[in-house]
Amino acid sequence: MNNRVDPNFKNELYKLGNKESWNDCFHCGNCTAVCSLTEENIVFPRKAIRYMQMGLKDKLAQSAEPWLCYYCGDCTETCPRDANPGEIMMALRRWQTVKYEWTGLAGLFYKSFTSLIVALILVAIAILTIGFMKDFNHEAIMHFGHSLEFWLIICVFSIILVPNIIRMFYFTVIKAKVKAPIGSYIAAFLSLFGHMFTQIKTFKCDKQTTRWLIHFLVVMGYLGLLVITVFLDWFGTENQSIINLGYITGGLVFVFTFILMISRLSKNRELNKYSHSTDWFFIIWLFLMGLTAFLVRLFIDIDLLTNNFWLYMIHLMVITQWGLLLVPFGKWTHFLYRSFAVSFINLKKASLS
Amino acid sequence: MQGKNQTALCLCPTQNGYTDWVDLNEIANYASEKLQIKTIWFSNDLPLLNAEIIAEKIKQSNAVQIILAGDKPGFFKPLFSRAMRVVGLDPKNVKLVSFSEYGAVNRYHTGLAKALVACAFYNVPFDVAAKQPAKNVNPETLVIGGGIAGIQASLEIADGNQKVYLVERTGTIGGHMAMFDKTFPTLDCAACILTPKMVEIGQHPNIDLMTYCEVIDVSGEPGDYTVKIRQKARRVNLATCIGCGICSEKCPPNVPSEFDTGTGLRKSIYIPFPQAVPNKYLIDADSCTYVKNGKCGVCVKVCPVKDCINLDEKDHEVELKVGNIVVATGFQTFDAKKIERYGYGIYDNVVTSLEFERLVNAAGPTGGNITIRTTDKKGNKIFKGDSEVPKSYAIIHCIGSRDENHHKYCSRVCCMYSLKLAHLVKEKLPDAEVYEYYIDMRAFGKGYEEFYNRINSEGIHIIRGRTAKVLDKKGKLIVRSEDIEADKLIEQEVDMVILAVGLEPREDAKHIAEILGLSSDNEGWFKEYNYANDPVGTYNGGITIAGVCQGPKDIPDTVAQASAAAARVLQSIILGNVGAGLNTISPDVIIEKAKKLSTL
Repeated sequence: MNNRVDPNFKNELYKLGNKESWNDCFHCGNCTAVCSLTEENIVFPRKAIRYMQMGLKDKLAQSAEPWLCYYCGDCTETCPRDANPGEIMMALRRWQTVKYEWTGLAGLFYKSFTSLIVALILVAIAILTIGFMKDFNHEAIMHFGHSLEFWLIICVFSIILVPNIIRMFYFTVIKAKVKAPIGSYIAAFLSLFGHMFTQIKTFKCDKQTTRWLIHFLVVMGYLGLLVITVFLDWFGTENQSIINLGYITGGLVFVFTFILMISRLSKNRELNKYSHSTDWFFIIWLFLMGLTAFLVRLFIDIDLLTNNFWLYMIHLMVITQWGLLLVPFGKWTHFLYRSFAVSFINLKKASLS
Repeated sequence: MQGKNQTALCLCPTQNGYTDWVDLNEIANYASEKLQIKTIWFSNDLPLLNAEIIAEKIKQSNAVQIILAGDKPGFFKPLFSRAMRVVGLDPKNVKLVSFSEYGAVNRYHTGLAKALVACAFYNVPFDVAAKQPAKNVNPETLVIGGGIAGIQASLEIADGNQKVYLVERTGTIGGHMAMFDKTFPTLDCAACILTPKMVEIGQHPNIDLMTYCEVIDVSGEPGDYTVKIRQKARRVNLATCIGCGICSEKCPPNVPSEFDTGTGLRKSIYIPFPQAVPNKYLIDADSCTYVKNGKCGVCVKVCPVKDCINLDEKDHEVELKVGNIVVATGFQTFDAKKIERYGYGIYDNVVTSLEFERLVNAAGPTGGNITIRTTDKKGNKIFKGDSEVPKSYAIIHCIGSRDENHHKYCSRVCCMYSLKLAHLVKEKLPDAEVYEYYIDMRAFGKGYEEFYNRINSEGIHIIRGRTAKVLDKKGKLIVRSEDIEADKLIEQEVDMVILAVGLEPREDAKHIAEILGLSSDNEGWFKEYNYANDPVGTYNGGITIAGVCQGPKDIPDTVAQASAAAARVLQSIILGNVGAGLNTISPDVIIEKAKKLSTL
């Protein structure tokens, strides 16, 4: 194991977060103690900050703890050195997103804004080209779009996301030498989906109910929209209840992501004060997706789509950019890492007790 | 040999993040126009840690001497010395000008900073250039503040056969030290050291003790100050009161005692504590029924001395003429209520260190028994000697100190007094568990590290980790902290939490500074003339500072500084004159003088 001190590591991390005064930490342990989510053997953020200052990358890759943090901002507000532990945890999550992603594209997109823009433009051009090849035939393109969505989900999941989660498991459980009994693996697996869809742990933090509710509605809206468009064929169905459900989920997504964008702009809370470019891409594309899907169905219902097919083309571009770039290599992955981290931490707890 | 083109100036900007610091650009302009210095660098533009490149720059500039001026220029000196050696010049020609050493800490002091640079340029010591013609001195001295610093300074001067007026705001001298139970690291009884000195003050023929008085105005010039003092209405005649205490027995109201920091109650007519000097009663107008409603007057009726108590007495003003003033106004402790998560003021058994100090003191409200806080019939939260005894204690260090949100500085005494309190608990209750939570253990003085080791061996749990929260769980207190050495989070259940509150400038320190014309630093402590070589002088001639009002310090340092201040006063009395202060001389005059004295 490479445990050599690397003082330059923090420079690498500076690109992934608001770096002001990170180096000021004098290790008093206030952040760990003020955090509502820490437990006897699960201590963060101070320990991770120590690893960061010393550049112990292996240790950091083996810690799933940053994913337990929901960034309520208590540690940053009470830090006696203004060292901003909450933001360090955020940056470490970005670093781990890059670390666990096996192709290296996430690293490229997280560190270079331009490369992500170029990739997005390339995808848009590809969609236009396909449209051109199909002579902008509405039915053919919509059929193509529908099957594209389906195959995108399958491919991204099996080629990128699943291997990434396996990598995370390898680092945080196998390399970290967590030896948990078999029973705890089953329990950890069972608890996984609860955390994935409810983020129930947020309630351990104070004053987070509104934030949890907005997040929950966005997640539910997004997943609902995904199921309804891809598996229930929202744009093609005649079933009125499915159509209505689609409107609700689409509406949820763009209304609440809009609220989230406003709060990011207002910088009214610790977690809003700094937004990485990937945060913006994530939230803007989520918003565009909800909005364009909603409008496409609306245009179908009021018979405007045939004359305004550009709308569907935009929707298809947004969807493809989202599925091909932003989901596998962007912030979307926190959906998986966060919930798996809870399970892996449960394994760690089981092995220590 | 130093002259035009041959001096290089390197300006070092502040590293402390102060936004309102000395204007370095103005100094650079001044240096190039008036001093004809052609080569001016800014330290943050230089490739630091690379003496070779700096040597190259020195060669290009033809400089033979270098002035490093600004904030902490000493940091760069080794580098420049090395560079000078590389060039083949004498490293002794690197001169340091530390602005903060002479108190040039904000942009209003840019003129002073210019004068400092000019003195270095002309090769004249600043103190020589800034020296002012001496003025005749009135041999009488005013000491403001009756704590250990004021007491020590007064005694030193009075023992030197000179007249001292000691002005104290409260009804007794003694200050904070009188409240303490023991002193560290010797574990001597604080009162045993202090009370003999207090008595000496009371009886000294050269000391005019003025308690319950406040300085309201100072005018005049060094050596001849006119001081206006408000004598607050004590309502008891100091000359005739015999201290029998009959008046107090019959006095109806009970109010929290300031001396016991609210842990116990006192009457409206009271003696702050049994060993008070002067040992005479006084009436607290805020709680006295007679002063408030015009009814009662029981104390007058029962007083055995005729005309001793005069409930209608009014404040009056006294004017004094003095030559020197010693300022020893001390400190106040940090208000722990400002950090809500420690639960002070919310949970009864979260106490401040000063409250605990009274609790363990045999002369305190509980007679030296450590007990839990109780609520009496009238709703006063006080400690009683016969209440339940807590079995486990947590002492939390650095409350309000070393914290960017409160005070950035280290209060210096808290680590040591916390260890002392832990020892006192163990001494009284050998079975009690004591947990100490610290960030860094600062045992900096003579015998302090040994003291720490001794306390450590007494079975006290000393935990590295700043506590962040105190929670209440069914009447028990839960202290949540990271144990950094054991790498885990601990939630310790205790009966009582002691907050080691830091020291801060008194609320009225600003007011005092205005009256006396003193400068304060960014934290509010009074600014000394020179931190390293004149920590008792100020920019005002004839005014010296001593004790914690200059910056946090422990009792031995306070006493040492008070003696130093007294020595300064006695020196001026022996010489018969006193130098005018730096604040009465303009920087231009200093520069002119430096030019004249220059050996160039």
